Amino acid sequence: MTAVTAVGSVPALQAALAAEDAAIFGYGVAGAHLSGSSQSAAEQDWTRHNEARDTLTAMISALGATPVAALPFYRLPFAVHDAASAVALAAYLEDGVTRAYLGVVAVSDRRLRTFGALAMQACAQRAAFWRGSTQAFPGLGT
Amino acid sequence: MVLASAAALPVLLGTASCRSEDLFTGPDPLTGPPRPAPDVVTLEAVIAAEHTMIQLYRAAIEGDRAAARAHGLEPLLAEHEQHLARLQARLLVPAGAQASPSPSAGAARGGVTISRLRAAERASAAGLVQRLGPVEPALAQLFASIAASDVTHVMALGG
Repeated sequence: MTAVTAVGSVPALQAALAAEDAAIFGYGVAGAHLSGSSQSAAEQDWTRHNEARDTLTAMISALGATPVAALPFYRLPFAVHDAASAVALAAYLEDGVTRAYLGVVAVSDRRLRTFGALAMQACAQRAAFWRGSTQAFPGLGT
Repeated sequence: MVLASAAALPVLLGTASCRSEDLFTGPDPLTGPPRPAPDVVTLEAVIAAEHTMIQLYRAAIEGDRAAARAHGLEPLLAEHEQHLARLQARLLVPAGAQASPSPSAGAARGGVTISRLRAAERASAAGLVQRLGPVEPALAQLFASIAASDVTHVMALGG
C-alpha cells in the first residue's frame, strides 16, 4: 500500500468507525423501546455493528493510526419514546453508517473500495428492513 | 470546398516529406474518433446491464401482473429506472453519437420468474462491486450505491 493511499484511507475508515460507534449507542437506545422479534433484530444488528467496529479498529491500527474513540454520549436526531420512533432511529442509524462507508468506496485502494461497498450492502439491507422499503441510492440520497 | 481541401492534404503532406502522425501528438483526427476512456467503456457496460435488468422487470410484470403486485415489482422497476437515468447522466455523448449501448434483444424473452429476478439482482450487485477498482471515485460511489440497492431488492424479492 502506498503512502498516498494510506493518507486517503485513514480518514475514511475513521469516519466509518465514528459512524459505527454512533450506531452502537443508538441501537442501545432503540432496543430498549422494542420487544419480541424487533428487539431480537435490534440486538442482532447491535452485534453486527460491534463486530464492524472491531474490524475497523484493527484496520486503522494496521495503517499506523490511532482509532478514534467512541463518545460517551450521542445526541439523538429525534426523541425516541416508543417502538415506532425506535424503528425510525434504527433506519436513521443504518443510513448514517451507509453514508460513512460510501466515503471508504472513494479511496484509491481497491481492496478498501470493495470492503466499503460490501459494508454498505449490509447497512442498506438493515435500513430496508427497518424502513420496510428499499431505496434507489443508499448512501447517496436522491 | 472543405472536401477538396481534405483530399489535397495527403498530397501536401507528402510534398512536405512528413506524415500525419508527425504533426499531431494527440489522437489522429484522420483515423477516426479517439478510443473511449476506460471509465466510459465501464459505464457503457453498466448502462447496458441496467437496460437488461429493466427489460427483465417489465417482462415479469407483463407476464404475471398479480404476481408482480404481490412481490411489489413496480417500485423496484422504478428504482432501476432511476439507476439508469443517473448512469446515463454521467455519460457525456458527443453530438451525433449513440446515447448508450442498445439493450441486448431477447434478454427478457420467456417467462421471467421471481427467482430469475433475484439471481439477476445478485449478479448485478456482484458485477458492480467488481467494477469499482479502476474507476474514478465518484463513479465508484455511484456503482457501490446501486449495488447496495440491488442487494436490498434481493431481500424485497424474498431472497
